[in-house]
Amino acid sequence: MENNQIDYHVSFFKPKTRRTLKNRNMVLWLVIVWATAVFGFQILLRVIEKPVPEPAYNTFVSVWDNVKADNASVEELKDFANSLSFVIGKVYIKEEYKPALSNAFSWSVFEVADDEKDELYNVLKDFKKAQAETDDILNPNYIKSKKTLEDYIAQLLDIPDNDARKPILPFSMSLQKKDSYSAENMELTEEVMSMYLIHNRSVLTDTIFLGFPFHYFFTAVFLLVLFIGLCLTYCIITDRREAKEQLL
Amino acid sequence: MKKILLSIIMILASVSVHAAATATELEGSFKVGPAIILILILASFILVGLLFRAKDTTDYYAAGRGISRIGSGMAIASNWMSAASVLGMAALMFGMGYHGLAYVVGWTGGYVLLLILMAGQIRKYGKYTAPDFIGDRYYSQGLRVFAAIIAIFISISYCVGQFGGIGLMFKWILGIDYMLAVFIGAGVILFYTLISGMLGVTKNMQVQYVIIATSFLIPLFVLLFKYDYFWLIPPIGYGSVVSDIVTGVPLNDAKELFNIYGHSFSIVASPEFAMPWAESSGGTFFQWMVIVFSLMIGTAGLPHVLQRFYVVPNPRDARWSVVWGLFFICIIYWTAPVYAAFGKMLAAHPEVGTLAVDAIVVYTAQLGNVNPLIVGLLAAGGVSAAFSTTSGLLVAGASAFSHDLYVKVINPEATAKKQLLIARLGTILMTVIVALIALLELALIAELVALAFSLAGCTIFPLFLLGIWWSGSNKQGAIAGLIAGSFITLISLTYFITGKLGVVLPYHDFINYWLGAWYFAWVGAPLAIITNIIVSKLTKPTPYEVRKFLVENVHL
Repeated sequence: MENNQIDYHVSFFKPKTRRTLKNRNMVLWLVIVWATAVFGFQILLRVIEKPVPEPAYNTFVSVWDNVKADNASVEELKDFANSLSFVIGKVYIKEEYKPALSNAFSWSVFEVADDEKDELYNVLKDFKKAQAETDDILNPNYIKSKKTLEDYIAQLLDIPDNDARKPILPFSMSLQKKDSYSAENMELTEEVMSMYLIHNRSVLTDTIFLGFPFHYFFTAVFLLVLFIGLCLTYCIITDRREAKEQLL
Repeated sequence: MKKILLSIIMILASVSVHAAATATELEGSFKVGPAIILILILASFILVGLLFRAKDTTDYYAAGRGISRIGSGMAIASNWMSAASVLGMAALMFGMGYHGLAYVVGWTGGYVLLLILMAGQIRKYGKYTAPDFIGDRYYSQGLRVFAAIIAIFISISYCVGQFGGIGLMFKWILGIDYMLAVFIGAGVILFYTLISGMLGVTKNMQVQYVIIATSFLIPLFVLLFKYDYFWLIPPIGYGSVVSDIVTGVPLNDAKELFNIYGHSFSIVASPEFAMPWAESSGGTFFQWMVIVFSLMIGTAGLPHVLQRFYVVPNPRDARWSVVWGLFFICIIYWTAPVYAAFGKMLAAHPEVGTLAVDAIVVYTAQLGNVNPLIVGLLAAGGVSAAFSTTSGLLVAGASAFSHDLYVKVINPEATAKKQLLIARLGTILMTVIVALIALLELALIAELVALAFSLAGCTIFPLFLLGIWWSGSNKQGAIAGLIAGSFITLISLTYFITGKLGVVLPYHDFINYWLGAWYFAWVGAPLAIITNIIVSKLTKPTPYEVRKFLVENVHL
């Protein structure tokens, strides 16, 4: 039977005792700090960020119209191939984009080779043959043909010896001396270049803190410290409160 | 004694030689060292399970309520750190860069909510399982049954990702087919969960945490030291690795440093790894935010996580076990991105080939030429993580099956022996279902697990939140809220599953973007809460006894 003398009711937002009021206020403060740190920071990051292209993208844009119109000079084609190699060299490219990039890169390198097309083709063919014949990457024949091709392309594109793109060059080429650069791949190339070479940046991403880009440190390291701190604060305050009220 | 020691040394030496011989093969060969480590670890799990096996139903469900704070914290961490944490998170960051950090933040930040809103109160309420709480608080057998079914679904969905991880690691270590690897893993975990129950599982979880943490951290110290970064504190030391990926590392600067194939430790500038919401990552700002939100509320709604608070002696211990649990979890979560960053650097050369992203943690250690036995320990740690979570999930699912469905609804007169039998049958059934679904390889491990979080966030979380903090929430409101949350879940999962089957339903792209399978709780949870409140206001108030219990037992 209901006892009308006591109104048993629990509501987080309408605490009835001093203790539940204090608890509500503490929880609200912790939630505000938590939400501001987690979501507020990301919103701030979003608000102040600006799309910033890598230098390779600017190079790409400067020659792209002439490449598309098929009237690019050798120097422009060289710039085009160079800008492509900055994307091909990235570690994680979606599989669906690789054929288009390979088509664009191979086509442009062969165009740059001009009179040496046949020679380049033979070097490339030797490498592909050696690659097909062995699974052992330490095979001397494979290493030799790879190195020859690597040096050949690097020389054509003026890529310095210490450039991280250099070892990747032989794997970026496909055997397509006489193939054209398809319209479909052109369209995809434009999309992929902007996708991989333009990044959202701001003072928060460009500031280095303990070796990290600051925003990365905040999200990957600091937020976790904060979460533990919030939990610790809650437990200590609740323990003290309960001890005071002799609930322990 | 000397002879025994000598024999052990001989065996270890022989193992090292064999292990070294297979060290350069990323895939496809039987790896002796890692296999022996794995077998030893699995044997220790079974031994611990046997030593601390469940004697009655109280032991089986709630470990006799005799676990200490730190022990419970370790168990929470071990239970929590699944294959999704140990293997999947690094995989996400390897493939999606900054976008993957949404999972790190979501899977840790949820513990703050869990602590300040639920942990102590759940323990004070004093029920064994999540459906038990829901059935009792909302005075409804129907809701108990519904909640039990949802708990089983959540456990299955969560387990699928774990079995995927177990399959990948068994495949890597044993050099066997993925399908066979999944079945072997399923068999072992079923065996020891059945003989141990939660008491054995809880003790095992403490052992497993130590194994997971040790195996996960050692390779990081080695990698950071070897590649000349600040190695004493890996979560700080890898900051320079991230910055190096952003700016690129030319060949000259790295001429003394190589991966296992002899490729220079260099990389073309790849700012997309660290810059927020890069288009190439496939994730947007909106998705980042809603993934974090969904994972956080899902954390506070997962039955097997909530169930951990029933095993501590009192509410104060329940609260402190969350702090310890989160601390132990963060030790791993601070360092998981290190594997992704080193993976990027070490796999930069095309000759490394395309790697199974979900196993990037192990490949990274292997590519960094870390000692094969340490790599083996790492893989065993991955298996251990999947095992610890899966066993907890199977117990939670079996509890829902036997305790909430069978005993409370079908046969209230069941003896303790019968209850235990039903729990074990439930475990077997769940294991078979999960193993079969895992064979389909529907998505990345972490993504499959995130699905379980959204499901929990839409269904269980609103019922606990309102059930604890608002006595006005009544049976009708709970039913309406649960229907609303389940409706959103159904829409999202229908589009996800049909999409996987190649069927394109109307508004496919729209639904997949706004109600993605990994984050549909951002709509489902608020909708369930609002529906619950509105319907509760419009219907008969919560019974006096329930309100009295809440005030006197939970909030006093």
